Amino acid sequence: MPSSVVDPITLATVWHTMQTLCREMRHVMDRTAQNYLMGQLHDISVGIWDAQGRTVAVPVGLPVQFLGASFAVKSITEKFKDNLHPGDIILTNDPYHGGHNCHLPDWGFFRPVFFDGELIFITLARAHQEDTGGAYPGGYFPNGYDIHAEGICIPPLKVYEKGVENKDLFELIWNNVRWPQGVRVDNYSMIASTALCEKRLLAMLKKYGKETVKACIDEMIQRTERAVRAEIRKIPAGTYFGESATDDDGTVLDEPVWIRVAVTVKGDRMTLDFSQSDKQRKGFINSVYAATYGNAIAAAVLVFDATLADYHNEGTMRPIEVIAPQGLVVNCEYPATVGASPVNVGIQVMEAVLMALSQAVPQRSIAAWAKHRGDYVFGVDPRTNERYVRTSFDYDGSGGAVWGQDGYQGLSALTALAAVTRGNIEEMEIRIPFYMHKLEFATDLQGAGRWRGGAGVYWEAQNQGSDSGMATGSSDGDTTFGPGAEGGQPCPPCRTYIQRGSQRIRVKPHRLVQLKNKDVVIKISSGGAGVGNPAQRDPQLVALDVRNEIISPAAARKVYKVVVDPATFVVDAKATARLRRGATTKPAKGAAAKPAAAKAASGRAAKQRRRATSTRASRRA
Amino acid sequence: MKRIAIDVGGTFTDCLVLDASGALSAFKSPTTPQDPTQGVRQALEQAAQHFEQPLSTFLKDVDLLMHGTTLATNTLINKAGAKTGMITTKNFRDLVEIRRGIKDPRVSMYNLFIPPYEPLVPRYLRLGVTERTLWNGEVLKTVSPTEVREAAEKLRQEGVQSIAVCFLHSYANPQNEEAAANLLRGSFADLYVCASHDILPVWGEYERFSTTLVDAYVGPVVSQYLRKLERELKRSGLKGAMLMILANGLTQTVEHCAKRAVFLIGSGPAAQPSAGTFLGSLTKQRDLLTMDMGGTSFDVCLLPGGEIPTTTEMWQEDHRVAIKIVDVRSIGAGGGSIAWIDSLGLLRVGPQSAGAEPGPACYNRGGTQPTVTDADLLLGYVPADFFLGGSIPLDAGAATKAVKSVAGPHKMSVDEAAEAIFTTVNMNMANQITEVSTKRGYDVRDFTLVAGGGAGAVHAAFIAEQLGIEKIIVPSTAALFSAFGMFSMDLGRDFARSFVSRALRLDLRRVNSLYAQMEKEARANIRSMKIPVQDVVLNRTAEMRYVRQFHQVEVEMPNGKLGAADLELILNNFHKRHDELFTFSMPWREVEFLTFRLKAVAPRAPFKLSKIKPGKADAKAALKSKRPCRFHGRQLDTPIYDSDRLLANNTFKGPAIIEEPTTTVVIPPGFACAIDAYKNYILTRR
Repeated sequence: MPSSVVDPITLATVWHTMQTLCREMRHVMDRTAQNYLMGQLHDISVGIWDAQGRTVAVPVGLPVQFLGASFAVKSITEKFKDNLHPGDIILTNDPYHGGHNCHLPDWGFFRPVFFDGELIFITLARAHQEDTGGAYPGGYFPNGYDIHAEGICIPPLKVYEKGVENKDLFELIWNNVRWPQGVRVDNYSMIASTALCEKRLLAMLKKYGKETVKACIDEMIQRTERAVRAEIRKIPAGTYFGESATDDDGTVLDEPVWIRVAVTVKGDRMTLDFSQSDKQRKGFINSVYAATYGNAIAAAVLVFDATLADYHNEGTMRPIEVIAPQGLVVNCEYPATVGASPVNVGIQVMEAVLMALSQAVPQRSIAAWAKHRGDYVFGVDPRTNERYVRTSFDYDGSGGAVWGQDGYQGLSALTALAAVTRGNIEEMEIRIPFYMHKLEFATDLQGAGRWRGGAGVYWEAQNQGSDSGMATGSSDGDTTFGPGAEGGQPCPPCRTYIQRGSQRIRVKPHRLVQLKNKDVVIKISSGGAGVGNPAQRDPQLVALDVRNEIISPAAARKVYKVVVDPATFVVDAKATARLRRGATTKPAKGAAAKPAAAKAASGRAAKQRRRATSTRASRRA
Repeated sequence: MKRIAIDVGGTFTDCLVLDASGALSAFKSPTTPQDPTQGVRQALEQAAQHFEQPLSTFLKDVDLLMHGTTLATNTLINKAGAKTGMITTKNFRDLVEIRRGIKDPRVSMYNLFIPPYEPLVPRYLRLGVTERTLWNGEVLKTVSPTEVREAAEKLRQEGVQSIAVCFLHSYANPQNEEAAANLLRGSFADLYVCASHDILPVWGEYERFSTTLVDAYVGPVVSQYLRKLERELKRSGLKGAMLMILANGLTQTVEHCAKRAVFLIGSGPAAQPSAGTFLGSLTKQRDLLTMDMGGTSFDVCLLPGGEIPTTTEMWQEDHRVAIKIVDVRSIGAGGGSIAWIDSLGLLRVGPQSAGAEPGPACYNRGGTQPTVTDADLLLGYVPADFFLGGSIPLDAGAATKAVKSVAGPHKMSVDEAAEAIFTTVNMNMANQITEVSTKRGYDVRDFTLVAGGGAGAVHAAFIAEQLGIEKIIVPSTAALFSAFGMFSMDLGRDFARSFVSRALRLDLRRVNSLYAQMEKEARANIRSMKIPVQDVVLNRTAEMRYVRQFHQVEVEMPNGKLGAADLELILNNFHKRHDELFTFSMPWREVEFLTFRLKAVAPRAPFKLSKIKPGKADAKAALKSKRPCRFHGRQLDTPIYDSDRLLANNTFKGPAIIEEPTTTVVIPPGFACAIDAYKNYILTRR
């Protein structure tokens, strides 16, 4: 489809330059930051928007941190109007007051980029800070009274004006966080990444001219929009339902909180309607609209043709509407706490959308990934006598299966879409007083399926630091389980324990507990969910899984209906055929509940809740 | 005395000889994959014949033989490595499969429909043993010899030929790894054994272990080859030094490389950018793009400002190789690439290659599948009677028969199918160039393409046309591009010592003594490479960072005994470099040193390309014949020029073809060709 304004090589160059720039921004942070979450785990997002707030480039990051950032960009240009200048930098971490941010630790630095006196782009570097103040470090403090208990709230404010740092403002901000010197380094690192982006964008504008670049942006967005509309048209029209719950809200304990979505496909439009979700809660699992939006869009695009994956922008979002009425857990109002929401209910938003779309397009089924099992340990490192906070993705399970492929092994929670990484054990032991006992795949700890989830993980380490606090704020999955698809099994349950001498103490998600010196933390994290009936899995693959001790011989027989010799790992073809007779047509026992698309809305939610509860009961037994 | 550069590619073994006068002679022989030493020998014999000497006399007069080989890379790509086992710290055997939770980094985060990572060593061949070293290097549990022996026995029963020993924190104290590796080497002499502290002594277990596994995987194949080659060359009379080209563009002895095979990943192509910079400075071009299209693979490297890029972020296939490496990217596209029809009925070319055995169908050596060379022949681009100077006669009948197999299903004529194969492989290569240029934000139209490889000059102009590139340089040694690059390289190697210290408390006496050790080692090492010691240039750098950062910045350091004033200079250099790289510095923040490095290099032997006779623009005197060639669907009667008769300043317009003994240069309509004083062909788009 030729454009009348720009030649194809310039278009391709401009398009890819923007994508590359984002990767370079991320690289600058990776290379210069000093906090574990930024430097090792990549809990960072970067992107480029245009002056109208249209999303131009978002190749890599956490959906919740940046796919809904156009709301913040628009609110910044409205707030500052003509008072935006080259060299300005706006900082915000506020979910409310025009910040549209997911939770307080994810600080975002926005830099307007001018050319010939005209605002052309706004670029963003957002990253999880070592600390954001509040009652407890790390940002996952359960049962806070309101958002102010979760940390310092920074509405969109200029921390640089025309290239000059506002030292007073920064002093105030840094004085309200723990480890101010470290946060200062990380802030400069983020600002530097926007500076690099500006430099490169200006070079590009100079080379091709403002009008050509703008024409390229229009063309990029139009092309993506056309392609996404064509993708949506391929999905059979109709309304599909999906739902998912988190264990509890951290305040009212042991009562799950539900996200429900009705996905309606009509022609080349898609609506993701979360109106049936639970009401806003006292606990910290509430999500602001921009955060729900980012996660919902990220889930929806996964079913589209993979060749589009490198080219998502504003054009992707135009045909998709996200409905989330105010006052619900998916669109909470000030001063609701939001600490855990990038993960819980972030994961649930994505799982619900994927559950619905997997029914619409079985050949693009995506099963749930393992839940995030995060905890934050806050104590003193006796080696330096300094306070530290341990944050990590190391103990997370694995990816869920997709139609045609087993789950990717080792990936961390769905809301990160593999944009984050795990730390090296060596780096962790150098930095914090934890001594690792074990990190290995666990046997029989993944959702079974024709394509199985990636393996679950067993993690064990000893606290060699002071007596400390441990918040399991962003973990989930003890009593609610990510769904499989097309007869694949859900994620199995996860557990966290503290081993204190001979005493084994269970720690549920969303809790704050004491961790003593020499305590051993044990985390048993499930793998991903499965796709398709396990009794249809290739017996040779089951035999290999048995040989690799990912599946036990007993589970091979019981769940996959495959008989494998435990010494030679040879499949007993006859016995397997006997076991499988009939098993391939019935839905597998314990398979994810599959809500019928045609059911009327009334009573649906209650029925599904019952079904999910019974799933839960049977998994426990 | 003479110097020799040998580059063993997937299809051809190239041999370039530099004599005392600075003149180059080029030889090419098919690679012999079953035993690549045979191909090397054949190439050397050709050279000896050219100088009218027996091989032993010829080799006696060689003071330096440089050798690059794609053997390690191809072994990994073709999954042809050894069955490999891993012995690692108990309870941590999955770290190489969990691999920091990394999904294939080349795949977008929005694409989940890709197969999971398949590790080089499956889980059942990864065994844990009791041992543990702490973060500070203290050994908490010494390694149990009984467990190591039991694990090795078990692995050997499974049939492994190679074992990687990978323990936590071995970079801080290699004691346990060394003990285990020594035990294995002592008790299991038939196994290739490597240890992570020896391969990549830096912290970060995933990157270190993964690199070590790649080493173990390619090690047996590579070391057997190297040892055999060195033995045979010595037996044949080679007295001079033999140096291997490493992935990082430096050099090393065979003995060293045979134990650390991973450093030969990318060995041949690593020399290619040097050829580019040499030609770039000769022709005064700054922004260069080098391409090398051989029989099996297409290698490309982007050199903005002529700077050779290195990286430690390399992924080879799906595996992380964290050694420092010259950033050359490869795909399977070459003269031997096979054309086929996929399940959707689409014409595809490569990555499978007919290689040297059986070779393209037109070689008449048993190959029946259509290849790029068959297409080149049928389009009239390569001569049937003058391929490799006539040493391989090409059979158009066999090529036609092979190409028919893809023409039929598409209801195309043979000519049309040949052109479709040609265009498809060009597109694959153009896409790979886009990958390293456009997709990194460079406008490829600003670059000059330096085209090498036996098939490179046949395809270069068509690729340039697709990408909008204006200018192409083809050296007359194009067919031996990497070998040519080896002469353009500095020889040497690097040394490193880790010594972590905050700048404020840095013990300069300790640093001075580290450098004294390294310089002594460097001199001895350079002597072992048989390079005169007075020629050596020492270059010091330090890896530094602001306290608590995760990555280092490499900073230049002064030579000689370091004092307090030097420290201040070094710190200033660090702030400056941090600012250059990342747009900011933090002089208020404490700085720490991590690793002190020394690079010892001998500048490349001075060599000049000899000038050819000047002439006028008119090239009629070199016109050899005319033959019909197909360009963009039309047969055009195309003048063929004899390279030996071309003179400097000759210019002509396309369509035209220049026949070199080792390659063919195709100048399509729309391009003009000028011959410069060094017999480089400069193609420009009109």
